[in-house]
Amino acid sequence: MSDTLAEPAEEMAFLDLHKKFIEANKPNSALLPLHEAALGRFETLGFPHSKHEMYTFVNTKKLVAAPFAISNTSTSIPEDVIESHIFSGCENSCLVFANGVYNPSLSKLQAIESSVKISSMSEKDDLDQVIASLENENDVFACLANAFCADTMVVEISDKAKVSVPIQVLFISTGDVSAPVMHSSRLIWKVGKLAELKVIEKYVGVQAGYFNNAVQDWMISEGAGVVLTQVQADPFDAWNFSKTRVYQKRNSRFHSTNSSAGSALVRHHFEARLEEEGAELILNGVSVLGGKEQVHNFVRIHHEAPQCVSHQHFKNVINDEGRSSFDGTVIVNQGAQLTNSNQLINNLMLSNSCHADNKPNLMIFADDVKCTHGATIGQIDDEQMFYLQTRGLSEKFAKELLTRGFAESIIQTIEFPEVVNELSNTLLKKLEASNV
Amino acid sequence: MLEIKDLHVGVEGNEIIKGISLSINKGEIHAIMGPNGSGKSTLAKILSGHPAYEATAGNITFEGKDLLEMDAEDRSIAGIFMGFQYPVEVPGVNNAEFLRMAHNARRVNAGEEEIDPLDFDELLSEKMKMLGMEKKYKERNLNDGFSGGEKKKNEILQMAILEPKLSILDETDSGLDIDALRIVAEGVNKFRSENNALILITHYQRLLDYIKPDFVHVLSKGKIIKSGDKALALELESQGYDWVTSSN
Repeated sequence: MSDTLAEPAEEMAFLDLHKKFIEANKPNSALLPLHEAALGRFETLGFPHSKHEMYTFVNTKKLVAAPFAISNTSTSIPEDVIESHIFSGCENSCLVFANGVYNPSLSKLQAIESSVKISSMSEKDDLDQVIASLENENDVFACLANAFCADTMVVEISDKAKVSVPIQVLFISTGDVSAPVMHSSRLIWKVGKLAELKVIEKYVGVQAGYFNNAVQDWMISEGAGVVLTQVQADPFDAWNFSKTRVYQKRNSRFHSTNSSAGSALVRHHFEARLEEEGAELILNGVSVLGGKEQVHNFVRIHHEAPQCVSHQHFKNVINDEGRSSFDGTVIVNQGAQLTNSNQLINNLMLSNSCHADNKPNLMIFADDVKCTHGATIGQIDDEQMFYLQTRGLSEKFAKELLTRGFAESIIQTIEFPEVVNELSNTLLKKLEASNV
Repeated sequence: MLEIKDLHVGVEGNEIIKGISLSINKGEIHAIMGPNGSGKSTLAKILSGHPAYEATAGNITFEGKDLLEMDAEDRSIAGIFMGFQYPVEVPGVNNAEFLRMAHNARRVNAGEEEIDPLDFDELLSEKMKMLGMEKKYKERNLNDGFSGGEKKKNEILQMAILEPKLSILDETDSGLDIDALRIVAEGVNKFRSENNALILITHYQRLLDYIKPDFVHVLSKGKIIKSGDKALALELESQGYDWVTSSN
């Protein structure tokens, strides 16, 4: 720790908070080396300023100035509250993280016990690896998540396991509307060779007033396939930051769809490394924003081997004073020949005061690749409106149909009918109420 | 049914249609032919109520009502159908649901109850079978990723579902291979009755081998320069548009 240079007030507040966190977390001191290394990295990086490369479009001033306390991790949440957030089909395959910490008594694993192992990180090798990866971690909030994680859970899926039911991971925050609290979850997925699994992650709050800062790693072995569906449904006065790192081996598949309802500030950071030949990545996202809701996506995809495929499609519907951004770069390394990569961002703007920033980017260091990218910001298409009106639909109804349809084209790629239904009743409902 | 009187139409300040008069009665089929740029599609657009097209002079009445005062939605509900030359793709909107909504819009305005979803599915299946459309087009999104031919079939499917009094089919034959053309034409013929009327807008005579018009009008430079029966279309086919445009 540097004690010669004066730290700015916001960083100081977090350093003080960390001392309290370490004190409270003494029973779990095995993670101390991680907490210290991560805090050191945080001090080196400091909070982002407006010109920070990773936070160009995201204003974190209010967030870092909030007088956070550490969330109570031994809080009890009634079972019926948990149950109301569990998708049907996942009743016996759900992992519950309450205020960032895995809660075994609220979790139910009967349906997946044979192929899925869940444990606190205990191997020294694992810990060393996580600490080593911090050296290249340039996202200050991801560093903070590592510095403040009370536990680190490892979920292992055995080789060739075909997990028959979807696994739901529920991140539930209790929050405190009178004094904001913060917590971090740290999760590592190790997907064995040729294993297949489907995961639904949902972020919710019992009440507002929290900062949920999550980091998870996906280590996907050769030939394995993962379908990940993320549902962000926090209350408005909450901050939700997440970093998802994906490491893919030969011929593995990772298909992810993120749906975001927005809040005071939501930021998703996806970092994927296609490390071996034939890996395939699909990253889709949809958000529907109104009021002053914000959702920001930051994506870095590294093509490190030949014959890999990555597709990204993000869509945002933005009304009122909503705000979204997309900052995405695909890096095709030297030698990653025959890469096939595309990236598309579409924003549908419904008001004069909404805001969208897009920064699609390609960095190609190989010479035989197929890469495309594009971004659109626009209003409802006049020709589509006219077409629907010639079929007798009213202007208001045609608008609603097109707006829903815009978001729905991503939602339809989600393969769980329960999630699709819920999003139709929550995310898309926002478009009815908002007088589009 | 439809009366067009000395119609002039402009788009973005350019006059495209320069005085057309045309009268269409129940049970009639009118073919409007003409070279590229003659104003055929502009006529279709003004009839269907496209906001970018403005009638600068003349008038149109449909069953005695001033058509130019009605917006696209009201025209549809009144019984006018436009089959688009380039049907718009609408991702995210399910084709079958859209068709049901359109069908219900018409019913509700006619004071009828909305159709039972199962009954509608039956109706839709029957009409799709008639047009040789595979069932998967129910599940697909409206025109999204459809081939040119399937888009045109989907237009005729909408016509069959909406049962309009007057249909304007703009270049419905373009993009269709000969088998698809035959199927589409058969679909149109089955739908015909003495109570409805049809305007076929086409560049080529080939569609008229399958759907026999009562009248053929040749449009050139924004005016109808020749009208006749279906023999006129055959003559155009053998002699080309120069024959009729140069003689005027």
